[in-house]
Amino acid sequence: MATPKGTHFVITANILGSGAPAYRRQDGSWSTNLQDAHPAADEAERDRMLADAASEEADIADPYAFPVRLDGPTIDPLSAREEIRAKGPTVPYRRPDAAQGAH
Amino acid sequence: MYQYDEYDQKIVEERARQFRGQVQRRVDGEVTENEFKPLRLQNGLYMQLHAYMLRVAIPYGVLSSKQIRMLAHIARRYDRGYGHITTRQNIQYNWPSLEDVPSILDDLASVQMHAIQTSGNCIRNITSDPFAGVAPDELEDPRPYCELLRQWSTFHPEFAFLPRKFKIAVTGTPGHDRAAIRFHDIGVRIVENADGAPGRDGAKTRRGFEVWVGGGMGRTPFIGVVVRPFVEYEDLLAYLESILRVYNLHGRRDNKFKARIKILVSELGAEAFTRLVEEDFERSRNPDLKLERTELERVAVGFAPPPYEPVAIARGDGKTLAERSANDEAFARWLKTNVLSHKIDGYRIVVLSLKKQGIPPGDVSDTQLDRMADLADRYSFGEVRTMHTQNMVLPDVREAHLSEIYDELVALDMATPNFRLLTDIIACPGLDYCALANARSIPLSLELSRRFEDLDYQEDIGPCSIKISGCINACGHHHVGNIGILGINKNGEEVYQLMLGGHDSDSASLGRILGPALPENQVADAVEKVLAHYLKFRTDSEETFLDCYRRLGPEPFKQAAYGA
Repeated sequence: MATPKGTHFVITANILGSGAPAYRRQDGSWSTNLQDAHPAADEAERDRMLADAASEEADIADPYAFPVRLDGPTIDPLSAREEIRAKGPTVPYRRPDAAQGAH
Repeated sequence: MYQYDEYDQKIVEERARQFRGQVQRRVDGEVTENEFKPLRLQNGLYMQLHAYMLRVAIPYGVLSSKQIRMLAHIARRYDRGYGHITTRQNIQYNWPSLEDVPSILDDLASVQMHAIQTSGNCIRNITSDPFAGVAPDELEDPRPYCELLRQWSTFHPEFAFLPRKFKIAVTGTPGHDRAAIRFHDIGVRIVENADGAPGRDGAKTRRGFEVWVGGGMGRTPFIGVVVRPFVEYEDLLAYLESILRVYNLHGRRDNKFKARIKILVSELGAEAFTRLVEEDFERSRNPDLKLERTELERVAVGFAPPPYEPVAIARGDGKTLAERSANDEAFARWLKTNVLSHKIDGYRIVVLSLKKQGIPPGDVSDTQLDRMADLADRYSFGEVRTMHTQNMVLPDVREAHLSEIYDELVALDMATPNFRLLTDIIACPGLDYCALANARSIPLSLELSRRFEDLDYQEDIGPCSIKISGCINACGHHHVGNIGILGINKNGEEVYQLMLGGHDSDSASLGRILGPALPENQVADAVEKVLAHYLKFRTDSEETFLDCYRRLGPEPFKQAAYGA
């Protein structure tokens, strides 16, 4: 399927230690904040950034690219998966314990 | 429960040590991620959306209080204070860091636990009836056989690289399968053969195993077939090994989505598959695999009945129970739904609900685990079970203790009286956590739990299972829900397919898609309409939702859900 015009790409990976999602900045460093990512403007830039990322296994694992839309300065993932990945689970993940404190 | 001997203990300790070295080499850059991935998967460590996920094995769902306290410690020290009980009786942690995992494995090894073979193309955790050994309708306790299968399958050199994952379940209760054996790659049912041939110790009947093969869910669900109705007791391991050998040889390795044994059985046909197994069995007849009585007895020692009190003591004077039941509606309701008959007079099985409204199904906190261990020590001979329906169980509780244990469970948020009812929902982690998912499952489970929270309504509906999966891999068992829900991604939007009529026990059936997929905000309404139709057209209050659906067929329910 052809990439829609105006689509940008973000390079992402998982931080080796924590497994947390990380996004590649323009200077090649990694941030856990999607909004710090450098959005590649086309497939050529995307592929170049991905190739660079693939050699950085000391810090990250499994780099890949995903499409995003730019809304002004805001990077907007085009998929629910990447949105959840960026923002965290949409459900509570720590059970409120009625018995907490009594233990 | 089974106690590790020196050999077992050495295995898990060495495995933990080995993985520590593997992690260090990965961190030091001595191995690549591609080289490291199969190694971490062999220790149950996945990379998910937000973090690593560690799946810890709970063999056939049995835990000691010591082990539960360790699981609580791991949740507290290395994770975010909770774990998740899975649909294969295991526990998962969603937030460990890579460098902590070796220490987690060391901690697990110290209490005879591990994460071995909880991932990868190997034989996975052996699962069983959560009421094994205590159910009144049980023919024989399946746990010793589960333990033998666990030992046989762990690091089996021939089956370490199967075409795909392989799941085995064992039940000891003919006529009431609580282990869903028909939906496993191999399902084993303990049976009694009354053909006149002498049994052990001169018994008129002899025990053996009915072996099912080729069941499974996922993108191509199948109900298994009986490959042999009676396998002699001593041939259990040898026969299973023949099945695995045929699968290993003929299973597809060219296409991951066609690699399960269910596809092989379907493509060959049950008859041809069975012939291959029987030929291998005849040919191999490995004497080393003959199950000797002494070996079973060695293992069965760990599953000997605990020191039950005489019924007069176990039951107490009965007054407290009777009075409270008469005067405390909430207690009476809990007694009716979550407390089950036990094979020993004066004792009961108590289900610990992990399905409180507002909490993701199957999640359990460190505090709950710690307190559960205390309750197990005080009330249930130090043992707890996990269920594939994502609840937990205290298997041996005196009737005299039910009132006080109820109060403890209320304080722990584990007394929701919804076992087998509408809000006893199974849900996979879904797109909130899982890298494979296409849609979220937990938010929908929370919405349905809220919509149907009325306990009177739930009791009126009666037994009705809702099972939700966030993708076609069906970890939420949606194919076998009386009401099954599959989340899919359609043009970037999460939508949900409703299925009706699934059932995972005897008289097993696969659910049928009811109609077009629905957006999330319409699912609860559709389910409510389906239930309303059931309430209106059931023959009487004794006819279950499933029976009503089977009687009426899908069409009237479809019209109810989607309108005329």
